[in-house]
Amino acid sequence: MELARLQNILYRLITAPGGVDEGLAKEQALGLDGLAELIRGDDRLSARDRLAIYANAYFYRLLDVCREDFPATAAVLGDAHFHNLITGYLLDYPPTEPSIQYAGRYLADFLRGHPLRASRPFIADLATLERTLIESFHAADATPLAAAALSALVPEEWPALELALHPAVRILDLEWHVEVVVRAVEEGNPPEAPRPGPLKLLVWRHNSRVHYRELEPGEAAALALAANGTTFAAICTAVADESGAADPAPLITQLLGKWLSAGLLLRRAP
Amino acid sequence: MDRRAFPSLGVGVGLRRPHYTHVLDTRPAMDWFEVIAENFMVDGGRPLEVLEAVRANYPIVLHGVSLSVGSTDPLNRDHLRRLAELARRFAPAWISDHLCWTGVGGRNLHDLLPLPYTDDTVTHVARRIRDTQDMLERHILIENVSSYLSYTHSTLTEWEFLAAVAETADCGILLDINNIFVSAFNHGFDARRYIDAIPIERVVQFHLAGHSDHGTYLLDTHDHPIRAEVWELYEYAVRRFGPVATLIERDDNIPEFDELQAEANEARRRSARAVVADHTRAE
Repeated sequence: MELARLQNILYRLITAPGGVDEGLAKEQALGLDGLAELIRGDDRLSARDRLAIYANAYFYRLLDVCREDFPATAAVLGDAHFHNLITGYLLDYPPTEPSIQYAGRYLADFLRGHPLRASRPFIADLATLERTLIESFHAADATPLAAAALSALVPEEWPALELALHPAVRILDLEWHVEVVVRAVEEGNPPEAPRPGPLKLLVWRHNSRVHYRELEPGEAAALALAANGTTFAAICTAVADESGAADPAPLITQLLGKWLSAGLLLRRAP
Repeated sequence: MDRRAFPSLGVGVGLRRPHYTHVLDTRPAMDWFEVIAENFMVDGGRPLEVLEAVRANYPIVLHGVSLSVGSTDPLNRDHLRRLAELARRFAPAWISDHLCWTGVGGRNLHDLLPLPYTDDTVTHVARRIRDTQDMLERHILIENVSSYLSYTHSTLTEWEFLAAVAETADCGILLDINNIFVSAFNHGFDARRYIDAIPIERVVQFHLAGHSDHGTYLLDTHDHPIRAEVWELYEYAVRRFGPVATLIERDDNIPEFDELQAEANEARRRSARAVVADHTRAE
């Protein structure tokens, strides 16, 4: 048999969502008996059982990876629902990347249109946050702007200073406070139902560890500007506008201190 | 390809996440580390930082799982470029991947599937290994996989196939002793006959690992200590191939690092014993 045909048939049989037997039934030219044309069986293990070893390995390997990447989503759904979720997910989003680390990258998208949302309306937000934590963990490295470097500038240089966000920073617009669910599962506690949002959540990486917290008043517009690259003056204006404070200077100083110590900002070449 | 061009690394273990901190903080005695190349194909962050630090103190080898050199899809050039980038950055002693296919139609099964053992497949795979070697500008090693099925239209044995591919492609061999043991049980062949048929001058590395026994078949799970029968087969292989660089793999049920160190010491002891025994016999 031609190699490409062989591989395509095996791919379909191994990934058949209803298992090898259903897959074989669908392969028109290939009933259980026909499988002998492809695969040798013997007294100990039939051709069908040999194929089933690969089919089980395919599903359970990806289920394990998704459970590891989405521990809170899995905890909320429980084993049976999560199992069924991944079965459906793999049908719509079969892995295409060489690295298995990307296997779950579309799970949140898949959940947005999933019936599980009826009883757990926060579930897609939860998966979004868990996936974002992984993306931040693996995002590109960059040298953050240090407070010392900023202090070294003369005050006249500050307004025109070009700033950007570190590549590992993400700002999520969520409808539910799913960060409490992630935190509970991280701490080994049962997942609690989140309260409704809206929630603007900051995700960042500092010293190789990923952190997250709700944005504070005054931060959202400024960090959104920085995401596209902006000046220090524009950031100050954004903080002032968003906070509505008569004297925004203390707030700006306080937020800037937080951003710098968390390594959120980069200095861009003008 | 001349296997003397590859450095003699001794015995190493696969570097896995649960041991990152231990390896970085205590710098344990270990000859070398093998890493799964795909796990480091990320833009930045902790994995690359760890690998930098480990590489500063130990030789490393990049071991791939997704080259899919036996697939009928075109070779994934983006993947090979990322692999070449990793190799430039981390200067591995060598690069290896598996003699298998992992997907087709642009989709990845994330498993190591066996190929039909035919002359046509030898030609197909050897050409792709040569292309890979050209792109990476180095000889690579290909590894025999554990398998649970064989194809009706195979005309060669697995060992004939492996030897023919390596000769035709002019590549090295990473001989996985546990995989030979597992496949020998699953397909009912003699593991020693397999080892006897592999060209000595192409074997650059051994893998050792544990498997699980499912009664009617053995599964290559890498979640157990190395079994006694596999240790015996390892000594048999050392008597044929000499003291080849050896790597202990553990991917699941990962124990304390000390336990892997003990297995590495056991490999050193058995390798030395097998070499002495062979030498004595030769005299």
